[in-house]
Amino acid sequence: MNVIETKDLCKNYDELKAVNKLNLNVRQGEVYGLLGPNGSGKTTTIKMLTGLILASTGSASILGHKIPSKLVLNDIGYMPQETAIYLENTVHENIQLFGEIYGLTKAEIKVREVELLDFVDLSHRRNSIASTLSGGMKHRLSLACAMIHRPKLLFLDEPTVGVDPELRALFWEYFEKMAADNITVLITTHYMDEANNCTRVGLMKEGELIAEDEPHLLMESTGTKTLEEAFLALARRCD
Amino acid sequence: MNMRRTLAFTKRSLMQFRHDKRTLAFVLIMPLVMMLVFGYAFGGDPKDLDIAIINDDMGMTTPTGMELSFADAIIGNLDDETYVIHYYDDWDTAKLDLQEAEVWAIFAFPANFTSNMFMNFAMNGTETSIIEVDIDDSNPNLAGSLMQGLQDALVETQEELMIQLNIPPDAAPMSVQTSKEYGDAMEIEFIDYFAPGIVSYSIIMVTVMISIILFVGERREGTLQRLLVSPASESEIVIGYAMAFGVIGLLQSIVILSAAILVFDINIAGSVFLALFVIIILAIGHQGLGLLLSSAAKNELQAIQFIPLIVFPSVLLAGLFWPVQSIPRILQPLAHIIPLKYGIDAERSIMLRGWGVAEVWPELTILILFAILTLSATIILLKKRQ
Repeated sequence: MNVIETKDLCKNYDELKAVNKLNLNVRQGEVYGLLGPNGSGKTTTIKMLTGLILASTGSASILGHKIPSKLVLNDIGYMPQETAIYLENTVHENIQLFGEIYGLTKAEIKVREVELLDFVDLSHRRNSIASTLSGGMKHRLSLACAMIHRPKLLFLDEPTVGVDPELRALFWEYFEKMAADNITVLITTHYMDEANNCTRVGLMKEGELIAEDEPHLLMESTGTKTLEEAFLALARRCD
Repeated sequence: MNMRRTLAFTKRSLMQFRHDKRTLAFVLIMPLVMMLVFGYAFGGDPKDLDIAIINDDMGMTTPTGMELSFADAIIGNLDDETYVIHYYDDWDTAKLDLQEAEVWAIFAFPANFTSNMFMNFAMNGTETSIIEVDIDDSNPNLAGSLMQGLQDALVETQEELMIQLNIPPDAAPMSVQTSKEYGDAMEIEFIDYFAPGIVSYSIIMVTVMISIILFVGERREGTLQRLLVSPASESEIVIGYAMAFGVIGLLQSIVILSAAILVFDINIAGSVFLALFVIIILAIGHQGLGLLLSSAAKNELQAIQFIPLIVFPSVLLAGLFWPVQSIPRILQPLAHIIPLKYGIDAERSIMLRGWGVAEVWPELTILILFAILTLSATIILLKKRQ
């Protein structure tokens, strides 16, 4: 079953085609990586899929609902590029706020908070003000906030930017755990090396999806040893 | 609208203030500081004002042999805390010093001052004693105080003389005039008049400033995008914020009104609760304005550029220092579109005149409409997707 389907999705800003005729199919339970350099249209794609901006032309559906739709908002989680947490509130207050936004009961929030803080290893900082956390901890808290309501589909926009290698590895472990729980993850990144962990990747260049497949198949088809080399080979073919 | 979610936003904002002690201090102490600074700067009675006195009064000896000089008596009754008296021999020198701002006023008593006064007073004459007055008009409030002081001294002297000369209290008043008149001196002190304005002004200034900065932060930090992708509606987000600022406005007004009462001994003639309610509505409306303006700013630096846009017209045109009627006619229509004007008018009427809802409802309605307008516009703007 496809959790995300787009058909000729476009976003134009005046003359600029930020996303051009994007046809994307993301299956349930996979970690799908949207790869590409800065300005290739990854964030614009996520913003259209989450309903933050409207598509210029084309259509898309999320979890079977044509978007934009309020019906999907309870089932999706979103972690923007920015840390997107309330820095002057405590870790607990951040979790609690998002729990209440998603309509969890007090008891549910309590249980979920313990699970999530354990999951992102922040239990010992529960009462800390978020601004006092390290950069990596803030990212982990941000991820926990996006997961509070057990979303079926998680959009993660460059979650590993500015994150040290150790934490990045940890994040990928999280994502694999989520996929194991049948949560679909759409992740954007411009770190080609870490995209090897994705179930499938879509390579974007100048707003267009130039290739899509499992990482090892993309490398095989281009006769390259890394995803970066595969991307460069595919990009050259398009030029 | 889901009330639990709305309250969650309110609670979160209030908790933020609780943790961020510096911002909380700014929000609560800034209006207080403004109140104290403005209060002391403008509210106290003027002191040590240099004045020129030309006393040519020859005085007189009454038929009973009593030596009289009304001018000396009036000068003696001038409040020595308010005035620093400099004696001059002639008008021209005094006038020169007035023009050079060496003195604030000239009070000149003519040679026949006492005799005219006595003739009029005791012998039912028709002569009028005139104190020649000239005043530095550069500060109308000060000019008013100087004239008020002279009037007080005059009244006190008259009362003393009536006792001294055995004149019954119901006798015709002494005919003394000043050559210059300043409208009826206010019964209330200037601080009483000024306090309702400064309470309203300081709260809107802090509210606009904080709400613009906080909401720009929401956009920059990505929390707003996250909320817009959640089931929370735009109304819940905005109303949640508004309620938090309502609570903050309440705390601010309690602090500032307490200071006004305790420090400046201000009398609130009307309902304190109504005065507080007006301030809360004013704060909520301006919080909405702050949110609205924040959407036009990309960062905090751009955001604070809006502050003077709100502050200066409000200070100058909303009737904070002087009545709207006294500003140039061409600018008066502008005053009527400044919401603070209605806040100040309502607060003044409640605090000074003791008016209730029945009288201040027009101002209150305008403030409520302003709050609804700014909050609705913010909600519509948030709903709008590119």
